[in-house]
Amino acid sequence: MTLGETLERNGISRRGFLKFCVTTASLMALPPTAATAIAEALASARRPSVIWLSFQECTGCTESLTRSFAPTLENLILETISLDYHHTLQAAAGEAAELAREQAMHANEGKYLLVVDGSLPGPGSNPGYSTIAGISNLQMLEETVAGAAAVVAVGTCAAFGGLPVADPNPTGAVPVSAVVRDKPVINVSGCPPLPMVITGVLAHYLTFGKLPELDEYGRPLAFFGQSIHDRCYRRPFYDKGRFAETFDDEGAKKGWCLYRLGCKGPMAYNACATMKWNGGTSWPIESGHPCLGCSEPDFWDAGGFYKALSVPTGNIGGTAAVAGLAGVAAGAVGGYLSGRAKKDARTAHRQVTADELEQKL
Amino acid sequence: MSTDNTVTANTAAASESGSALGPFSLERGLQALREEMDAPTAAFFSSCVHCGLCAQSCPFFVETGDPKYTPIHKLEPLRRLWEQEFTLWGKLKARLGFSQPIDDALLEEWEPLLYDSCSMCGRCSLVCPVGNDIQAMVRKTREGMVASGHSPEGLIAASVRAVNTGSPMGLQWKTLDVQIGHVESASGLTVPIDQAGADYLVLLSSMEIINFPEYLEAIAKIFAHAGVSWTLSKDCFEATNAGVQIGSKDIAAVLVRRVVDAAVKLGVKNVISPECGHAYTGIRWEGPNVIGQRYPFKVFHIIEVLDQLRADGRLRTEGMETDRLSMHDPCNLARKSGVIDEQRNLMKLVAEDFVDMKEHGKYQWCCGAGGGVSSNERAEELKMAAFRRKKAQIEEIRPDRLVTMCATCRTQLEEGLEEYTMDIPVVGLTEMIAEHLVEDAPPTAAAPVKEGAPS
Repeated sequence: MTLGETLERNGISRRGFLKFCVTTASLMALPPTAATAIAEALASARRPSVIWLSFQECTGCTESLTRSFAPTLENLILETISLDYHHTLQAAAGEAAELAREQAMHANEGKYLLVVDGSLPGPGSNPGYSTIAGISNLQMLEETVAGAAAVVAVGTCAAFGGLPVADPNPTGAVPVSAVVRDKPVINVSGCPPLPMVITGVLAHYLTFGKLPELDEYGRPLAFFGQSIHDRCYRRPFYDKGRFAETFDDEGAKKGWCLYRLGCKGPMAYNACATMKWNGGTSWPIESGHPCLGCSEPDFWDAGGFYKALSVPTGNIGGTAAVAGLAGVAAGAVGGYLSGRAKKDARTAHRQVTADELEQKL
Repeated sequence: MSTDNTVTANTAAASESGSALGPFSLERGLQALREEMDAPTAAFFSSCVHCGLCAQSCPFFVETGDPKYTPIHKLEPLRRLWEQEFTLWGKLKARLGFSQPIDDALLEEWEPLLYDSCSMCGRCSLVCPVGNDIQAMVRKTREGMVASGHSPEGLIAASVRAVNTGSPMGLQWKTLDVQIGHVESASGLTVPIDQAGADYLVLLSSMEIINFPEYLEAIAKIFAHAGVSWTLSKDCFEATNAGVQIGSKDIAAVLVRRVVDAAVKLGVKNVISPECGHAYTGIRWEGPNVIGQRYPFKVFHIIEVLDQLRADGRLRTEGMETDRLSMHDPCNLARKSGVIDEQRNLMKLVAEDFVDMKEHGKYQWCCGAGGGVSSNERAEELKMAAFRRKKAQIEEIRPDRLVTMCATCRTQLEEGLEEYTMDIPVVGLTEMIAEHLVEDAPPTAAAPVKEGAPS
């Protein structure tokens, strides 16, 4: 059965389906014509097999995916792809579950997508920290990745190690990319990642048969190409120098910039500011909390969540400090000059009067 | 521009001191644009992603297909000034001679884009994915156009008349006085004039006085019916603001000040803006900013007042309109001020078969005439082109009649429908309500009026 037929059987209207395709195309910054291509490819594609492995994780990524709003899990993931193995979502248990994984691997050799969430104890560490059906995470990953077309590391734990890797990393955890070397790995980071990013990547793969363009951390550029700061609706306050200093001061109440409360927006690359969460309802900064930068490598160890970015978290050289100060000074001078241009203009303002206008007639 | 601190804000001193800011000139226009430059403007220009959604939202682009009518493109003079004088790269580029100049030729070329093809309806601002308030920047850019002498003749004439005679159409009190006489003899009611201490000061638009005198009669009837204490003012009867349309805060301030003075003199608690879209946003939102002070009274659109009277049970109506009615939301009222449910509540009171257009409320399409377009004779053709979008919306639902609450929209709808030989009459909502009042009920003049009742 093709995906189109599956969708139809499940009562997903053509309109709803096209809407999803258009949204996906625009979110991934593809030209408008791509929506048609996505629709055609998805509708006629055979259901590709997906195997989903969960290692050292909290199931938050699965929770996030099941809250995907357009499309929902039901009308994209479960119905349009064949999710052959997923600890949390599958009905089968025990030996039947593992059998399903093996069957899917054999039946779709070289073609299935492997999704991993969670980090795993690395080659040098005690495999007993995390096992499934008596099989160590490392062994299961190596076995499963052998016949996979590509690997999608979902969530910051799978992409960069996340919480398990945080100092002192007791389980010797490593991210997926540290183990998988000979297959393309796409990192969909975030704790959890935006649901639409997960489904968008899957839809892109199904349509074009390849992974989207990635940034230096292996993340899809379409979603991780811009910083939270650049897209933040509170950005005008940052530009004006209006900051909340505590969580209950006047600035916080007025919705000013949260930079000084430790917002990691300027160094965090993700799509929260534009796509928001829970069907576009809100997102952390909109609810008054600074961005934690959860989609970045080492975010647990990158200094206090509530420490402003400009406050050094470690030792920085004297040169950097001087350069920083010079930058601040240059910015202040630039701002002063621009401010002065405006003030001068205001001072020189000559009132427009009706008499003057009348002379134009 | 001299940076000499002895140059004062005093305009006379500025011109006497040999400042380049004499009569309308390029330099004066550039100074006006610099004055308008602020953090939001800088943020907006920095964050434009060139997605082109604003083009798709603009009736002038959609109906002409000409890319020069893309809303963000209309801001080129302001954008160039921002880039060349307020950004580091722009300054460098200008130094090295790589930037295009902002000269009279550019402003002349952009004049029709900023005035003829923009009704400041704000649909572009609504759809912009990065939240750029494009229509507000058009308003800002017009400041520079006025000061550089590049504003349309029709709007200049309207502004001059508004300041000198009290009405952009050149009406004087004696004209209104004649209409008041007609209203009084037709309704048997007295129209209160200069009644100090009244709860509401009613303002009109010249368009209503001349084209739709039934509006004043409707107000007289409804307020007598509901026992509302109100008055007109001889000092100021006009609420429209040509200064807002041409884009001069100085002219706008003179006109707003006139309303404030009249309201203060009579000691009214509330001021009612007429069935006119920009008059309402002008007096309610822009007014306090241009005069730089808070009002000692509240401002309502007549529709807000009527809906509050309805909610308070003070409008008793009988009979229903039975034909298929639809509604045109004025941009200034619905999209820019959030007055959307009020008119629908009132429609429910008197209409059996009401159907909304597909895109209505804050997503409605502009009629094409607002923001000064209708006072600008040169824009006639474009105005009618933009109306085709509204026409398409009307054709989708084929109503028997259209209801609206803005005299400019109403005039444009009537003209447009006639142009396309569509036989769909347009009526004002206030008049429609007035026609359904229970006639023989005793007036409830004795009922105390709650302070600032409508909200």
